[in-house]
Amino acid sequence: MKVVVAVKRVADPNVKVRALADGSGVDLANVKMTMNPFDEIAVEEAVRLKEAGHATEIVVVSVGPEKSAETLRTALAMGADRGLLVRSDAVVEPLAVAKILKAVAETEKPDLIIVGKQAIDDDANQTGQMLAALLGWGQGTFASKIAIGGAAIEVTREVDGGLQTVNLPLPALVTADLRLNEPRYASLPNIMKAKKKPIDEKTPADYGVAVEPRLTVVRVHEPATRKAGIKVGSVAELVDKLRTEAGVL
Amino acid sequence: MIHADDGILSQEQRLMRDSCRSFVDDVVTPFIRSNWQREWDMSPGERLPSAILEGAEAIGVRTLGVPEEFGGIDLEKETEVRTFALISEEIARGDSGLADKLVQNWKVSIVLRQFAPKHLQEKWFPRLLEDPKFLLAHCLTEPRGASDRWLPYNVPEASMHTKAVLDGDHWVINGRKQFISNGFDASLYVVYANTDPSVGMLQGTSSFLVPRGTPGLTITKCNETMGCRFMNNGELVFEDCRVPADHLLVKSTALASAGQYFRAGKIIQAAKNLGVGVACFERTADYVQNYVQGGRILIKHQAVALRLADMATRIEAVRSLVERAAKAVDEAHPDADILCNMAKVYASEEIMKVATHALELHGGNGAMLEFGIEKLFRDAAIFLHMDATVDVSRMKIIKNMFPATAGKYAGPES
Ligand SMILES: Cc1cc2nc3c(=O)[nH]c(=O)nc-3n(C[C@H](O)[C@H](O)[C@H](O)COP(=O)(O)OP(=O)(O)OC[C@H]3O[C@@H](n4cnc5c(N)ncnc54)[C@H](O)[C@@H]3O)c2cc1C
Ligand SMILES: Cc1cc2nc3c(=O)[nH]c(=O)nc-3n(C[C@H](O)[C@H](O)[C@H](O)COP(=O)(O)OP(=O)(O)OC[C@H]3O[C@@H](n4cnc5c(N)ncnc54)[C@H](O)[C@@H]3O)c2cc1C
Repeated sequence: MKVVVAVKRVADPNVKVRALADGSGVDLANVKMTMNPFDEIAVEEAVRLKEAGHATEIVVVSVGPEKSAETLRTALAMGADRGLLVRSDAVVEPLAVAKILKAVAETEKPDLIIVGKQAIDDDANQTGQMLAALLGWGQGTFASKIAIGGAAIEVTREVDGGLQTVNLPLPALVTADLRLNEPRYASLPNIMKAKKKPIDEKTPADYGVAVEPRLTVVRVHEPATRKAGIKVGSVAELVDKLRTEAGVL
Repeated sequence: MIHADDGILSQEQRLMRDSCRSFVDDVVTPFIRSNWQREWDMSPGERLPSAILEGAEAIGVRTLGVPEEFGGIDLEKETEVRTFALISEEIARGDSGLADKLVQNWKVSIVLRQFAPKHLQEKWFPRLLEDPKFLLAHCLTEPRGASDRWLPYNVPEASMHTKAVLDGDHWVINGRKQFISNGFDASLYVVYANTDPSVGMLQGTSSFLVPRGTPGLTITKCNETMGCRFMNNGELVFEDCRVPADHLLVKSTALASAGQYFRAGKIIQAAKNLGVGVACFERTADYVQNYVQGGRILIKHQAVALRLADMATRIEAVRSLVERAAKAVDEAHPDADILCNMAKVYASEEIMKVATHALELHGGNGAMLEFGIEKLFRDAAIFLHMDATVDVSRMKIIKNMFPATAGKYAGPES
């Protein structure tokens, strides 16, 4: 079984980012970048499928600037076999990413595609769903568990009411949720070994996909700073404030 | 802290640093912060939970220095010492004792890959790789004499007291070694002993491989140290300890040949220092931006801001020198010996000042064990004389710069 995993380079979730002064976006100059945490989970799941003898090859794909090669390198160090960088210095929206990945899927012909449920920068939560629709494949989103059985895959999904299990014929698409697994650290020896694994480079144009944005960013601003807390004198005052000011009672 | 250095690192070095940093932030630091009593557990074997060593194992930092042909890591040789520096700084930022434990394995692996006969490499490297608890130790210091070896004073009267004599197909070792990092719990020791009392130590010292459990080798105690307490420093006694003749690593010129070990060791030492300094800075920067005195957060008091600036500046100055010295060692530059001693001594004194600022800026909290700042202070202090004292390091610098004058031995006691 061949698995394709898509990974995105995003600002490190532990770093506090700031909006650009002109409100056009987020200031990423000198900000530490890392692999989108949900994509790490996706890579980890693919590596576990390989270790369990289900997967034979893992191809990781990233759409983004040149530096995304480093994100691919991390995935290779975690255990993926080869990488594909579809290079674009401009922002690529979920629909365009989905179209690129569709084209990649048509050449790579994987049995399974795993992506993160969303990227922690734009939190779009769209790429996986759009990709499955474009390919006409079954999709198991927000996966917290997957099990391979012959030509099908059983995906346990985290839904509002609890857990839902879906059975998908292969090829299929899965989006990884937080509890699917705990990703490993790339070990130092594997980082050095990953250096020898190949990364191919393409452009969106190679796949005939236009990446011009369809959305317009009106303004990016920081959330309002939280006001300092107050001390209340009595329980009665607390209840009163919860009712009249907070409006939660 | 500032990361202006990112540009000069290779992609692999950055990824390795990130893995170590994640391991430290997710596993090591939370353990250290919430288990401050563990340092004072008087059963040395119990101090560090195995989960920490297993974590270190999972990211592959226990066995750097082991050649790839034995299942080790294929680090770029041209930048190996710089990579060692990078990784030891990151680990020491979490705990410098843990870093001590691990780097001893890297340093001794350098000795083994250079000097051990092939069949012993084939025997020991796989064992080192297989067992997450396997540690290595390097035994030079004796109850009488350590500084002499660092200078080194090349006269018979400064020679090692530990002696090895060939008896048939075995070397018989007698003597004592003290202050040995990992000495208490190592599985394999590299031991230096005198094999020719008639000449100076550069011509009369040999090195041997001594496995733990060899009859005649006794680990007499774990030294209770002021800092780096998660590394178990030990004392060893050799009483007619017999090792097979092939366990001889270097005959006669062992001290002179150990240069690569010593130089890499000084850089690693300075880099561990740096990690402790960075931890001091990060903790303090966080504290002074949250703790209020005089109605405002501490950092808004200019006296506090000035100290913080001083901490950051010293750290960056140390980093610059460590990088320069590490590069010189990697490139086997003729001045590498001078530069790595400079880096080692400068780091130890500067980071001591950084730790003092950290202690001061934390006020009374700085003195409290559960706060962890006094630990950083103790960890910084112990660096002053690991791998040579401050003064001996300085003398070494001058003896190297002016070999014809300062390099001459002053003469024996009359
Ligand atoms: C935590 C720790 C880990 C260690 N790990 C190891 C290890 O793994 N292996 C190992 O072999 N050793 C190890 N050591 C030993 C270490 O290398 C020595 O402690 C160090 O070199 C100092 O030697 P000493 O203790 O004998 O002090 P001394 O040499 O007795 O020095 C005492 C004082 O005299 C000064 N002095 C000495 N000689 C001269 C001179 N000629 N001129 C002027 N001043 C002089 C020194 O500067 C110092 O101030 C370790 C020590 C520590 C504390
Ligand atoms: C062993 C010990 C025993 C003690 N015993 C007693 C006791 O018996 N009784 C008692 O009441 N207290 C006691 N203390 C408390 C001690 O007096 C305080 O810890 C000390 O005064 C420092 O105050 P702090 O801890 O609040 O630090 P802070 O006041 O918060 O100081 C933190 C840092 O900020 C700096 N700073 C603070 N304000 C300013 C400013 N305006 N401008 C510039 N810099 C500033 C300080 O110099 C310091 O570097 C004890 C403390 C210890 C460690």
